[in-house]
Amino acid sequence: MNTKPQFVYSTLIATTPEKLWAALTDPAFTVQYWGGTSLESDWKAGSRIVFRWQGKIVHDDTILKSEPPRLLSYSFHPLQFEEFLSEPPSRVTFEIEEFTGISKRQGPVVKLTVTHEDFPEDSKVFPKICNGWPGILSSLKTLLETGKAIEFEW
Amino acid sequence: MSTSPKFVYVTLIATTPEKLWKALTDADFTSQYFFGTRLESDWGVGSRYVFRTPDCITNEGTILRAEPPRFLSYTFHHISDEEMRKEPPSRVTFEIESLVDGSDLSGPVVRLTVTHEDFPPESKVFPAISKGWPSILSGLKTLLETGKPLDVQKKAIRA
Repeated sequence: MNTKPQFVYSTLIATTPEKLWAALTDPAFTVQYWGGTSLESDWKAGSRIVFRWQGKIVHDDTILKSEPPRLLSYSFHPLQFEEFLSEPPSRVTFEIEEFTGISKRQGPVVKLTVTHEDFPEDSKVFPKICNGWPGILSSLKTLLETGKAIEFEW
Repeated sequence: MSTSPKFVYVTLIATTPEKLWKALTDADFTSQYFFGTRLESDWGVGSRYVFRTPDCITNEGTILRAEPPRFLSYTFHHISDEEMRKEPPSRVTFEIESLVDGSDLSGPVVRLTVTHEDFPPESKVFPAISKGWPSILSGLKTLLETGKPLDVQKKAIRA
């Protein structure tokens, strides 16, 4: 049995794949639902991606896969805490599918699946992301559906 | 290490604990986000509940804990599918915490944690609920925040 931790979270969002892609990749959008974090990249495979929070770079990572508006994957290495620095980068993947199992009167709905994996067995980052993603993704869904993000404490 | 599977799902919802409790326990409300299912019970500890669709009763069980508006737990026995009916009941728990009380302009926010556990190791129910809960809880969140359901069809989840 594989004991490597893996986090998987899926959610349905009343939006289009294109709007969700923009929400994941536009820093003006991410700053609203990602605890004030701006995600900056040209979003091409192999390119650099930085997370900027309160003017500081808190992640410095690499885009692994980018197939707008369906698939996005990047390395994940938090820099802001000493205890996380020594861990090798993990990997997060966003899959966006049009969700067809809804009644005809309904507008478009997409299924977003976030998979975060490649952690060492005793990872200190893993418990943090297990707490972090549900808040971020809840706020993202609310922002896309209502125009206003949920404000929450980390 | 235990090999008994366990499902945990956390979501933040812009609502109050009281409104979320009502959404989990009011059959008219549940039918809007739970594949058209009415969850029927008096929600007292030890009471029976059923999941009623227009065609049949899909689930039955017993309320294990009920502390409105914070904590709800019931046994979960899927009975409309022959294979799943043979499995012993599992257990699902809803914990509701107030994150933001809503006294300022930002509005109230609650954290809902759904834990579904006590499955046998080779459970057939576990993969089904692992697909089902994210859709149900996405629809619940949307309904509470926008007033409109996502209207997810159950057959789409099974595919």
